[in-house]
Amino acid sequence: MVKSIISMIAVALILTAGVIFETNFIRNEFKVLTEESTVLYDKIESRSATENDVYALQNKWVVAKEKLHAFISHNEIKEFDLWIAEAVKYVALKKWDEALSKMEVILELEEQVPKSFEFSFANVF
Amino acid sequence: MLVIFIRTLIIFSVLVVVMRLMGKRQIGEMQPFEFIITLIIADLACIPMADLSIPLIYGVAAVLALFLLHQLFTLIEQSGRLPKKILSGTPSVVIDKNGINMNELKKNNMGVEDLIESMRSQGYFSLDDVDYAIFESNGKLSALKSAEKDETAPSSMPILIINNGKLQSKNLQILRDDADKMKGFLNDFGATLKTTEALTVDGNGRAYLKKKKEKFRIIYYPLKENIRW
Repeated sequence: MVKSIISMIAVALILTAGVIFETNFIRNEFKVLTEESTVLYDKIESRSATENDVYALQNKWVVAKEKLHAFISHNEIKEFDLWIAEAVKYVALKKWDEALSKMEVILELEEQVPKSFEFSFANVF
Repeated sequence: MLVIFIRTLIIFSVLVVVMRLMGKRQIGEMQPFEFIITLIIADLACIPMADLSIPLIYGVAAVLALFLLHQLFTLIEQSGRLPKKILSGTPSVVIDKNGINMNELKKNNMGVEDLIESMRSQGYFSLDDVDYAIFESNGKLSALKSAEKDETAPSSMPILIINNGKLQSKNLQILRDDADKMKGFLNDFGATLKTTEALTVDGNGRAYLKKKKEKFRIIYYPLKENIRW
């Protein structure tokens, strides 16, 4: 009985700590990425963005995804990879409208992915 | 992780209710909630293992959630009679001194055939071989051998002729008789198909007749001369 209760408390604590860590970690990682992406979006909108600006975002993403792999679906990570790579190409070609549309998708993903980890009716069901 | 935990909790609770409603037929030697854990833990462990697109932590969190629920349910189950009754059910006395208890069988979604099958696996081939037969909450059949059982009587395998008011025509063919003769036979004992819960006949003509709301009777069925098994 005592052993059962101790093991239950231990597992409950592990799960609670895991939930808190996961929620905060994902929220913080995506907060930083969203800030970077917003700056890049504004630069693209004003047509002053360079390839290096997009590479900077890509590098940040590469570093972040190494840890995010443990928490978010690898298919979602692949999506980010593709959209960022496309944004790099369009900025290099100075195709601003196309680059903007790619950035809009990236920003949307950065908003939606952390939300999918929140406790909500939509996520549970 | 929180979402995974809540989802596991919901699936687990739904399965517990469904398994309890299914009765004792679906489980074997485990309490319903233990059976459910065994059922889903394999998949939970396998999916993140085989699908590289799913983070391993998804599987770990769900397995830990199941462990927590198992411990919790075990504690609740052991805390009193009512929680135990709700979570694991109670043993069902399906045969008593009056014979088969159809209501108990129905409660567990079982029929006379299922009972005979379970009894055979315990070494009892005739319904009157036991004074009591109980389906435990883990789905296992426990039987108390009848004190009146005649060990010296010639043995023969009984076959089910009437199962809850329904004539088993395939088994009736073994007797090489028709429905009318069977109805006449029942009539001699004040029974009809509708009022007969079970009738078995063995190769020596020894028959077990259980009418609704009456104690079972051992009678003899007039088998044709060349029919013995």
